[in-house]
Amino acid sequence: MTPAELSIPATGRDLRLPFGVALAALACAAPLFLGNYPLHAIIIALIFLLPAHGLNLLLGYTGLLSLAQAAFFGIGAYTSALLAVHFGTPFYVNFLAAGVVAGAIALPLGIPALRLRATSFVMCTLGFVIIGQAIAKNWISLTRGDMGLAGIPKPYFALGPVSFTVSGTVGFYYLVLVIAAIATLAAYLIVRSPAGRNMIAIRENETLAESVGIPTWNYKLLVFMISAAFAGLGGSVYAHYLTVVSPLTFQMYYSTTMLIIVLGGGAGTISGVIFGSLLFVGLTEALRVAPELRMIAYGFCLLGLVFWFPSGFAPIIGRFWSFLERRK
Amino acid sequence: MFYTITEQVVNGIVSGSVYAIVAVGMTMIFGVLRAINFAHGEYYMLGTFGAWFAIDYFDLPYPVAVVIGVVATAVIAVVVGNFVMQRIVGAPAEAGVLATLGVSLILQNTVILFFGGSYKFFSGGYIEPVTLFGFTLAEQRILIIIVGLIVFIGLELMVTYSRMGKAMRAVSQNIECCAVVGIDVRHVALWTFILGAGLAGLSGVLTAPVNVSVYGGMGELITFKTLPIIIMGGLGNVRGTFVAAMILGVAESLVATYVGLQFRDTVGFATLMLVLMWRPHGLFSAQARF
Repeated sequence: MTPAELSIPATGRDLRLPFGVALAALACAAPLFLGNYPLHAIIIALIFLLPAHGLNLLLGYTGLLSLAQAAFFGIGAYTSALLAVHFGTPFYVNFLAAGVVAGAIALPLGIPALRLRATSFVMCTLGFVIIGQAIAKNWISLTRGDMGLAGIPKPYFALGPVSFTVSGTVGFYYLVLVIAAIATLAAYLIVRSPAGRNMIAIRENETLAESVGIPTWNYKLLVFMISAAFAGLGGSVYAHYLTVVSPLTFQMYYSTTMLIIVLGGGAGTISGVIFGSLLFVGLTEALRVAPELRMIAYGFCLLGLVFWFPSGFAPIIGRFWSFLERRK
Repeated sequence: MFYTITEQVVNGIVSGSVYAIVAVGMTMIFGVLRAINFAHGEYYMLGTFGAWFAIDYFDLPYPVAVVIGVVATAVIAVVVGNFVMQRIVGAPAEAGVLATLGVSLILQNTVILFFGGSYKFFSGGYIEPVTLFGFTLAEQRILIIIVGLIVFIGLELMVTYSRMGKAMRAVSQNIECCAVVGIDVRHVALWTFILGAGLAGLSGVLTAPVNVSVYGGMGELITFKTLPIIIMGGLGNVRGTFVAAMILGVAESLVATYVGLQFRDTVGFATLMLVLMWRPHGLFSAQARF
């Protein structure tokens, strides 16, 4: 698979800045002209953006196909839920704890898993999801098993004497928008750093990367942990949004969804992932597609991506984009 | 106490035979296509649904339903094989994972869309208990063990002596050389796939009377149980797969009795991870090839 860069030709006008500003303004103003249901769809899409950014770092930039995102998503959701229900900690504590716990658990899991090659690695990461679900189901004293944890409070913030609770769809929309923007910025900074270039080197040719002195093992482990942390943060927001978590949070369905977002949008591009989550999660949610039909559509998308659009659907937009720039 | 253990081992061998019939097809497909077939459990589900449909809608006897189930699975396998699996030959490993994941989503959800997601009752098969060597077993379970043995011996003979079997082995060793000496790789890939999917369908039909319930999502569980088996057995290794399937079947049955039923479905992946840490390329493969 050759992840594509969105190539923007130097000739013609650079539309990125005005377009970006317009998009940001549109995102901020969305509650003014969108009803609650479309907002809900965008919230879900933005929540899924976090684990998708993590998977993109792993798959798109480092070249490791992992199905474990759902496991870390679930770990994040449970961490956050348990803290909120038992200790009533403010949202930012739960949120950060979810990321830290998911990232920390990824360390002992990643060390054996990353020793494996292609197929066995995929299997091993799939195993994390299955075992995670079994733990969530059977550690009843902690997770209440199949009954799940209900009544997770709406995110509330407390700084000294000031405290406020984010409630309602609009409030949650802005919260998620800020979180998604920070996550996107973080992913962008990681990718643009020297570390990001080393990750790409590992993706392109691991042996060669090793031979020029890149500590490939450390990088792979670190990226695995970072991607898990991203998934954990996403899980935390998801738990607070739905206010319930159940063992079904550990499901292949979530891993598949994140895979579709990353590959469909264009692995190895930040903008592609944003596009992917809005298209594949936001749009299907907004159109209220029946879950079965949605999964069938995902299935056909996967086939199309493998055989006809190996670099995702975003390059098509990219081509249209460069066409626009040349016209003006 | 001793009696319970032996009884559980026999039960384990029955479920091991079921896994073996499914896993053998999956591992052969891997050998030829170099692709893990994530959709393999769906063919198991299709076989069961084909037979259930024949019994429930047309009141056909069980043996006829078995044939219909397997044929229906094979027909779908022809379509999938032509449009998807043949293209995977020579593609990178990720392409195989993603494409078969896609096929799995399509097959599973199409069935749910047509028949609904609820559990259905499978009426058919031979569930009279018989006593054999002091054990009481349903006839169907004995049938499963016998069919498992026949499949294993038949595959060994086919792979060793028949022209197609030799071609399959050749393709699994070197695709380019096969093309050079005039073996139609795509043809071999297609037939291996149909054979593998058909076996999964057969396994589904045979197990249905024991499992009783039929539902659209049942294939996923089988895929998740078969994946550890074929990796532990050494990918592409038919004999290793058979042994690994038996080990898993017995281990599951013992865990279900002595540890807890709820842990049964985790045994496969837990064992797999332990095995991979100790031998990263499976129990029975001599060298690291994948």
